[in-house]
Amino acid sequence: MSKKIACDHCHLEFTKDVMIVDGKHYFCCNGCQGVFHLLSDEGLDSFYDKTANTKLSPPIEQYEESSNFNAPAFYDKFVEVNEDDFNEVSLIIEGIHCSACVWLNEKALHKMDGVIEASINFTNNKAHVVWVDSVVKLSQIIDMIRAIGYNAYPYDASLQEVHANKVRKEYYLRMAVAIFATMNVMWIAVAQYAGFFSGMERDMKTILNIAEGILATPVLFYSGWIFFRGSYYGMKNRVVNMDLLVATGASLTYVYSIYITVMQHGEAYFDSVSMIITFVLIGKFLEVLSKKNAADTLDIIGKHLPSEVNILENEKIIVKKLEDVGVGDIIIVSSGEKVLLDGIILKGFGSFDESSLTGESEPIFKHIADKVISGTTSIDADIQFKATKDFAHSTLSNIVSLLESAINKKPKIEQLANRLSEHFSTVILLLSFATFFVWWLWPHSFEESLMVSISVIVIACPCALGLATPVATLVGLTIGSKKGILFKEAAQLETIAQADILLVDKTGTLTIGKPEVYKEHNLCSYEKNILYSLVKRSNHPIAKGIEQFLLREGTSFDEVLFEEYTQLPARGIKASHEGKNFLGGNIELLNENGIEVKIESEKSLFFFAIDAKLLVYFELEDSIKEGGPELVKALSKRGINVVMLTGDNVKSAQGVANSVGIKELHHSLSPEDKLNFVKNLQEKGKKVVMVGDGVNDILALGTADIGIVMGSGSDISVEVSDVVLLNDSLDSLLSAFKIADTTFKLIKQNFAISLLYNAITIPLAMAGYVIPLIAALSMSFSSLLVVGNSMRIKYKWNRS
Amino acid sequence: MDNWVIAMMLGASLFLGAIALFAFMWAVRNGQFDDEEKFLNSVQFDNVEDLNDAVDLEKKKEELKKKNYRPE
Repeated sequence: MSKKIACDHCHLEFTKDVMIVDGKHYFCCNGCQGVFHLLSDEGLDSFYDKTANTKLSPPIEQYEESSNFNAPAFYDKFVEVNEDDFNEVSLIIEGIHCSACVWLNEKALHKMDGVIEASINFTNNKAHVVWVDSVVKLSQIIDMIRAIGYNAYPYDASLQEVHANKVRKEYYLRMAVAIFATMNVMWIAVAQYAGFFSGMERDMKTILNIAEGILATPVLFYSGWIFFRGSYYGMKNRVVNMDLLVATGASLTYVYSIYITVMQHGEAYFDSVSMIITFVLIGKFLEVLSKKNAADTLDIIGKHLPSEVNILENEKIIVKKLEDVGVGDIIIVSSGEKVLLDGIILKGFGSFDESSLTGESEPIFKHIADKVISGTTSIDADIQFKATKDFAHSTLSNIVSLLESAINKKPKIEQLANRLSEHFSTVILLLSFATFFVWWLWPHSFEESLMVSISVIVIACPCALGLATPVATLVGLTIGSKKGILFKEAAQLETIAQADILLVDKTGTLTIGKPEVYKEHNLCSYEKNILYSLVKRSNHPIAKGIEQFLLREGTSFDEVLFEEYTQLPARGIKASHEGKNFLGGNIELLNENGIEVKIESEKSLFFFAIDAKLLVYFELEDSIKEGGPELVKALSKRGINVVMLTGDNVKSAQGVANSVGIKELHHSLSPEDKLNFVKNLQEKGKKVVMVGDGVNDILALGTADIGIVMGSGSDISVEVSDVVLLNDSLDSLLSAFKIADTTFKLIKQNFAISLLYNAITIPLAMAGYVIPLIAALSMSFSSLLVVGNSMRIKYKWNRS
Repeated sequence: MDNWVIAMMLGASLFLGAIALFAFMWAVRNGQFDDEEKFLNSVQFDNVEDLNDAVDLEKKKEELKKKNYRPE
């Protein structure tokens, strides 16, 4: 074995071959590597001088001195100063495991002097904090977050991934212990129940109790730790949550059962202790699992952008980091590349795809002195342009930050389970106290009264309640994924079921997005060869439509090489060959070239002329996807209003709206218009579902309560949305609504079942009739019923 | 007497069960179930060479374990 060397971060020694090699540095793990790079990036590597060769604990447990967060280097990298001179930062909060945690963090931060806004996204545990730096420092904010039992750090995508895996693993381990112990406790409990009816020696009973007690101990203290933690944070912000009920119920029962075991009379309830913890833990685990797919949106956007650009400096091409490009730098963009900065073209020309900004699907032609906008893509242009803004102020960064705040401010719809469990827990705890006092005052021994009041908590402990939502949503998610509908988070099913309004984009969502020839009008015979060659060289969607049409006729074409070939933006194509002039394009092109045409159509038209003589014209139409009218009809029946939002003009929008049956339509909208439209509706208290596909929809998709995206949509829009329709069909959109409805109904049924159980068993418990057998039976049976009820829907869906 | 037999049986079986549980927990902590795909597909690559590699890996891990530190 090779000799041992020290990790450059934590200084722990390992053999060389297990280390991560990074330049001349060696690291024992990604964590160390990450911290090392972060610190050296920020000019904080003097940290290592100070530590000398002291062995550090791994970064997982390491809380660096929080004053580091106040260093200018940190501020430069992570903190932004907004237009009101407030500071803003994005943090990942570690340790968030329930909505109460989000609430607690927001509350704690809001209470601090100098903090203006703190919004935490529950899905990715990401916080956006705005504060006044003269009053409070970032380090104090982070100290606060740590003080309340969480950790916070400026975000980084890979760290987030690691964190998610850690949480899942923790649950695996806790569940493994819980399930193992509970299964064994149950075997022993069967003996106990038998003994309860047929009589059993006291000694034997004690032996069984001790065995159960040994098994229940790790369940309560290891697996159940999550509930103690949860109720502690709940208490801290004065919320009575389900965790508190589970934790009190289980630990009271545990203590009481130990007492029984020692005193050797009465019945121990160790089986209840482990069952409660196990069942509710499984429910929580299912919730954690269904959150797995939620992607780290904002970092993903960053990932889609190249971080470097080619700069022309002193006649030489050099590569610069995007952030380092200053105003006046000359940037080179070749065809197919993304424009990352705003500027003015100095050299070259060509067409640009601006659909991400305007939603306009037609390429825009630009030449010298025209403005190029960041976020657009060069289709065939090789240009040099002068930057007029740096990256931080570019249109692109603007959109990214708009999106960022859109996602963080996404309305939170409280889940039924949370609302219900808060009341439920309070009521049960009160009932239990009441029972205790009534029994005690109605002369019974202290011991007896305590036992009865504990049995109330035990019997009420919400196994079924804890399983009601996760099992139902899991079934919903499974059905969805079979039909090509990916819900990124379980809670979204509930939100969709409560939607008031559906906003649909036109191109790519309702329509296929590619114009097709609807009708050919032959005026004279013409050479298809030439028309084919003409349209083949163009990337315009209409030209592509004509090309497809000609190819479908089955003949093969010999391409003609034109001596001259120009594409005129918003007009068409002009070309010449062997002394003949060819025109292919819209009516304006013909009119400008002296051909008088008076043909009108609702559809897009393409004319083809040779030497000022019109030979043929085509009517093209973006065909509508199947299932549109059915979708609108079915949704209106559910009371969901369908509204069309499109960047296109009124004429093409109206046609589609009419044929699908949409009554309300808004046209010529920019991405920001769409965003504001969504916001307006939300201010009116509507729950908005938005369906789209393109980059021009991302702002609206991110803001809407639910953003649904077609699977063929752009990567970024897939990332910001909540639901992905893999097969692009409107049928699956309808299915998504149906699945959500079914699931929500299921959740409500499950709640009804578990509450009904409680309604029957709690009075029994209060009257003191509950024996361990009944407690165990009611718990298992109600849980089974809830799971069974959820499965029932699965079979129903599979059959249909 | 009977009670003792039962107590011993209970103790022994719980002990054996606990060993299995700890083995499982060790495997989870070790990252053996981290990648479902790998976990399922590794059967296909189950030849001598890979087994040796796995053993070497195991040894390396052991050494790290002796250092009492393995970052997750």
